[in-house]
Amino acid sequence: MAAVDLDLLQGTLDLLILKTLTWGPRHGYAVASWIRETTNQRLQIEEGALYTALHRMEKRGWLESEWGLSENNRKAKYYQLTTAGRKQLRAKTALWTEYAGCVFKVLQTV
Amino acid sequence: MSRIPGIRRFFRVERDSAGVERAVDDELQFHFDMTMRELMANGMNPDDARREADRRFGDATKTRERLATIDRSRVGSERRAEWWSAFAQDFRYALRGLRLKPGFAIAIVLTLGLGIGANAAMFGIVDRLLFRPPNFLIAPDRATRLYTARTFRGKENESSWIGYRRYLDLKEGTTSFDAMTPFYSHNLAVGAGDGTKEMKVGISAADLWKMFDVKPVIGRFFTADEDVPPDGSRVAVLSYAFWQTQFGGRPSAIGTMIDIGPAKYTIIGVAPEGFNGFSPDPLVAFVPISAQASAAGMGDPKTPWHSTYNMTWFESFARRKPGVTAEAATADLSRAMRLSYKKQLEVNPKGTPMALAKPRALAGPVLADRGPKAGNDAKVATWLVGVAAMVLLIACANVANLLLARALKRRREIAVRIALGVSRGRLLMQLATESLLLAFLGGVAGLAIAQWGGTLMRRTLLDQANDGPSAFTDPRLLGFAALLAIVAGLLTGLVPALQTGRTDVAAALKSGSREGTVHRSRIRAGLLIGQAALSVVLLVGAGLFLRSLVNVQNVRMGYDADRLMWISLNLRGVKSDSVHNVQLRQQLLERAAQIPGVEHAARALTVPFWSSWEFTLFVAGIDSVSKLGEFTLQAATPGFFETMGTRILRGRSFTAEDREHSPLVMVAGESMAKKIWPGRDALGQCVKVGADTMPCTTVIGIAEDVRRGSMSETEMHYYMPISQFHSSDGGLFVRTRGPAADKTDAVRRALQALMPGVSYVNVTPMSTIIAPQIRSWKVGAIMFAVFGALALVLAAIGLYSVIAYNVTQRTHEMGVRVALGAQSRDVMQLIVREGLRIVIPGVGLGTAISLVAGRWVAPLLFNVSPKDPPVMVAVVTTLVGVAIFASWVPARRAARVDPNEALRAD
Repeated sequence: MAAVDLDLLQGTLDLLILKTLTWGPRHGYAVASWIRETTNQRLQIEEGALYTALHRMEKRGWLESEWGLSENNRKAKYYQLTTAGRKQLRAKTALWTEYAGCVFKVLQTV
Repeated sequence: MSRIPGIRRFFRVERDSAGVERAVDDELQFHFDMTMRELMANGMNPDDARREADRRFGDATKTRERLATIDRSRVGSERRAEWWSAFAQDFRYALRGLRLKPGFAIAIVLTLGLGIGANAAMFGIVDRLLFRPPNFLIAPDRATRLYTARTFRGKENESSWIGYRRYLDLKEGTTSFDAMTPFYSHNLAVGAGDGTKEMKVGISAADLWKMFDVKPVIGRFFTADEDVPPDGSRVAVLSYAFWQTQFGGRPSAIGTMIDIGPAKYTIIGVAPEGFNGFSPDPLVAFVPISAQASAAGMGDPKTPWHSTYNMTWFESFARRKPGVTAEAATADLSRAMRLSYKKQLEVNPKGTPMALAKPRALAGPVLADRGPKAGNDAKVATWLVGVAAMVLLIACANVANLLLARALKRRREIAVRIALGVSRGRLLMQLATESLLLAFLGGVAGLAIAQWGGTLMRRTLLDQANDGPSAFTDPRLLGFAALLAIVAGLLTGLVPALQTGRTDVAAALKSGSREGTVHRSRIRAGLLIGQAALSVVLLVGAGLFLRSLVNVQNVRMGYDADRLMWISLNLRGVKSDSVHNVQLRQQLLERAAQIPGVEHAARALTVPFWSSWEFTLFVAGIDSVSKLGEFTLQAATPGFFETMGTRILRGRSFTAEDREHSPLVMVAGESMAKKIWPGRDALGQCVKVGADTMPCTTVIGIAEDVRRGSMSETEMHYYMPISQFHSSDGGLFVRTRGPAADKTDAVRRALQALMPGVSYVNVTPMSTIIAPQIRSWKVGAIMFAVFGALALVLAAIGLYSVIAYNVTQRTHEMGVRVALGAQSRDVMQLIVREGLRIVIPGVGLGTAISLVAGRWVAPLLFNVSPKDPPVMVAVVTTLVGVAIFASWVPARRAARVDPNEALRAD
């Protein structure tokens, strides 16, 4: 299986993270594994970029974080969506869907 | 954050920079550990797992840095937001507190307002005198006012007044300056016909425009080519305000003619708004010095104004070149001054020789009151700044006292809050917010008071019609008031805040309202001692200045100032002709004597405090009369002594018989007679006036001494008949029945009728001439008295509130005393004694400070010792009296305590 190198469009990574967090608070490792598993490991995301995105969104107030205990009783930083984050997710989803639709339409034309 | 379900809050997020980095490390470490664990669970060996984890992550070092940077900035903005929200909360809380107790808030705001207002008003005045450079001045630190100094009879005399020839010598003889100009303002008749009014006109050279960053609003400024002695171009630049009021701001004003003094000038431009050159007062126009001097006919044909050293009538200003220090400029100027003096000696070989005169010059500060010839006003104003600062201190002490009293009442509330986990820092912030809010409101009130008080003071005390800058728009004043408000807020908040910081929670919660007040009263008593001491200092100041004022007003001037007025003539448009001039003055004299309400009138040459005249005198048997001192002369018509009210002690005054060709006579002042003929009879002595070759002038009378140059000492003065003095100059003194100030209009109207063409008379009551001489004592007395009274009232209120508070706290104890048989007199004595115990150390301290500080204030007093016993006794008595009264009121309440009620309560 060839991996898609996700040199993602600006904001796509943000979108994926926001979506991931709609199921509840997670730490960075969980976000990364969830994306990997959901895409059947086809989407290769550099994890450094993922953490950068997490911290940047926290600074913008889309996420908030808290230290908690992980499944194996270790100290981990959990992220969860804020109201502003949910709003961002809705807006970005709409935008991305429309964008993908347009690109797809162009590709469909013979 | 506790909204995150299922996760307990175990760890605090770190807020400092190291904490942020540690948090990032922890987070990434967790991530790597988890990745490794998963990979190894899938069968990878540890080395491969580490490599795979690294690959998935990318550049860890860079990411770590990036994350820390993002977090640091987030933490910073969070902290700011938190601070603001806490502040907003405190602010709302403080506002609510004040709304609930409006009386308390108003008392504090007014107290602080008075303190801040007094300071802002004084700052406005002192700023103008000592700190604020003239508007638009380029490089104020390099601008200088020039002074020259010469030693005369062993006494060095510095002066900023110089003449044109000297100015040219200094300008041409120096290299330190890139601009130098004469400047003075002069009252000149401006306009023609009925609209003619005397207004201040600025007179300068073209370099004036180089020293200021100004461009003409319309037209142009005059140039150096238009300012060439002996006759400069008659061109005028109007001030903006004058252009607006007289020409309606119309550009067509350019090119029209305007009467300024004796000549007509062409208007060539308008200066920007607020430009007054170096003058502290508003001006109406600016003209070249050469035009004004020639139009005024200064000097005489043999010694024209621009080539004589004998006239001084203006001040000079210059700007040092960049990099030239004031010392270097002064040295350069002194060199030029010595050369100039040498030239002067060539023209006038009889002058004081160079070695004795020791001429030098000085590049002084541009503001006159910072220079060597600072006036009394600036000194008094500086003192008053100190006084105002004391008033503010007293106001702060009072406010601190009020806040403290409230903090004590809120002790339990505060203890409860601390017990509930509110941090002490947070509580302090809240108290500080409250006092800063009060101080801010006090600052606003203070500005209003400064605005109103400053205007009142300028109008009534300084005789300045012009209003200064508005307190609410002047940035310097606003900044100063804001600074004071902050300082006052911190000072007043400090004491209650310290109190809160010390709150012993357990004790405060356990105790009733009665306990734990003793040491707190001590702080309040300490504040009161300070207040009482400051009040004493201010009241002593008020007493000393008041006595000075009374002394200076009661001093025998040697003439009746209140009933005299001086009439001077402005003969513009009249051809100068001495015969005609004498005739005109004679007509005016005859007319003046007929005006109802006028008792006497006389012609005279000079006016006390405005002008004086001197001649070299020769007396047989005395080498050099001028070595004995300065002898000034007055020339007048018969009737002069009756007019002035100057008493003839012996001999006679001159009469109509002492005419031009009869034997020369003089009346000598008492101190002159004693100086020249000690122990001998001066009557009948011979004095040669002006030259050794003159015929004898015989002393025919001795007059009492007069004060005409200084309020503090009399002058050696003598009088000659004006007919023998051959002068067509001078004006008239008129003596009225009542106060002269009431009759000026009637006299002006009657005399103006005789004036030919556009010439006119100026009528000035003698009291107006003397007013500036006694102004500093008047200002000092009034301001010290106002501030002192203010301080006393504040101290009395403070004392009352502390005693009343203590009485309330000790109701129980009083009840016990009464129950045990204490009479109400005993209780009252107890309380009053407590008040005195606070005030007497304060009075002692204040008296000690006054005695020490008296040394510095002594030069500003008039015939009063700074240790004046009556003043000291009066002040001490007043304070003790006020203290007794302030504690007597609560004492009466204590005496009426009903033991039944007091013992049952609590």
